[in-house]
Amino acid sequence: MTDQEIIDTTNKVFEEDFEIERERLTPQAHIFTDLGLDSLDIVDLIVALQNRFGVKIRNEERVKDIRTLQDIYHFIAAVKSEEGKKSS
Amino acid sequence: MSLKRVVITGLGVVSPFGNGLPALMKGFEESRSAVRRMDGWEAYSGLQSLVGAPVEMEGEKRIPRQKRRSMGRMSIFAAQAADEAIADAGITLAGEDRGRVGCVIGSTMGSAKSINDAFEIMLPARDLSRLNSTMFFQCMSHTAAANIAQYLGLSGVVMAPAAACASALHAIGAGYDLIRLGRQDMLFCGGAEELHPTVTGSFDILFATSTRYNDAPHKTPRPFDRDRDGLVCAEGSGIVVLEEYERAVKRNAKIYAEIKGYSTTANGFHVSQSNRDSMLACMRQAMRDAGIGSGEIDYINAHATATVQGDQEEAEAIREIFGSSVPVSSLKGYIGHTLGASGAIELAASLKMMKEGVIYPTRNLESIAPDCAGIDHVTEPRRKQIKTVLKNGFAFGGINAALVCGKTEA
Repeated sequence: MTDQEIIDTTNKVFEEDFEIERERLTPQAHIFTDLGLDSLDIVDLIVALQNRFGVKIRNEERVKDIRTLQDIYHFIAAVKSEEGKKSS
Repeated sequence: MSLKRVVITGLGVVSPFGNGLPALMKGFEESRSAVRRMDGWEAYSGLQSLVGAPVEMEGEKRIPRQKRRSMGRMSIFAAQAADEAIADAGITLAGEDRGRVGCVIGSTMGSAKSINDAFEIMLPARDLSRLNSTMFFQCMSHTAAANIAQYLGLSGVVMAPAAACASALHAIGAGYDLIRLGRQDMLFCGGAEELHPTVTGSFDILFATSTRYNDAPHKTPRPFDRDRDGLVCAEGSGIVVLEEYERAVKRNAKIYAEIKGYSTTANGFHVSQSNRDSMLACMRQAMRDAGIGSGEIDYINAHATATVQGDQEEAEAIREIFGSSVPVSSLKGYIGHTLGASGAIELAASLKMMKEGVIYPTRNLESIAPDCAGIDHVTEPRRKQIKTVLKNGFAFGGINAALVCGKTEA
């Protein structure tokens, strides 16, 4: 999966599940203060990311450090890369 | 301590005829049926009744996402009905003492679709990790009441009576008492319910649904008719604004009616069978609470769902008290049985009929069943001045409810 595919898939979650307009989805956008997500949304974000990327991240400590969209892109790329290494 | 008077000052409805009370009344006026054959229900093995009266959901995106995410279908209906009731009552909540304004909204259970979806997600692999955060809030029994309290920003009483098909009348009855006792000033009361094959299935396995009209859905349900064969499930919500009388007068509110009396009784006899004697007791007690005799009731809006036994018991109970002196009709022939919402939807329609001086007939009542005879069945639209209406609601669990509403006298 390319970086661009990770960005597009993640942004699609924000557009479809959280009904946020595409133009607001900049890498620096803060998911709480800029995009308006709250604690319940984070649970749904995890479920949505798990479904779209086929990863298991519910018990990942690193989720707690996510603040911006860029953080999500990096986090997913890292998890995908680690899973790739495990399975190879 | 003297009891406060309680009036109804706003009405809101989402029904199988669409959003809003005008759409519902137009459906009655045009004698239409909202019942249709339900696509895909054949997939449920053992389900005999393939008809229902669904709501075409519209405009739900107007509810902000973070309020909407915890709402199943039924709570969305309730929010839309509440919006209409607020506009109809001409109130703004901004200036209210919120601790004195609340909601009492009942239903049989939480969102049927959400409950079904939650188990479908969770059970195949016994995997909880795919459940989203708000599924529980859609499934819980007080989902409509809790969601409306959040949606409207209420901070008074929030209650959710669960009494199956009597839920909305229970909610209005409970709201009546809360305002009567001076505990609240204004309440949004009513019920909400949604249509789902598993809901129809709960009646179907007891042989209580209509099964002979799957290919002629407009001909069912047939309350009080010789050829009735059971109920047809529907969905929607009805919300009425209950207000303390003096406060309503002070703000020059439009008053539809005053709640004059209410009663609820159990039959203590059978969990699913209706019982004439306990229905009788309930109606009599409601009139006693109102301080009126049977001669002062101008119209009875029957529960009459078109089950063989339920309609007979209700007709016998009405005949025992009123004989054939009071017009009776059931609205379920148009929109099916909206279950926990029915008491409020049908009360709203009855109050509108009271305002307009017209009684809409029982649709599909073509040949009065001998076991339902001896009461004044309305079979054609009838002009009549209605000063006082009696609304019945009966439910599984052996529960009866009756509400008496009348035009307000200063």
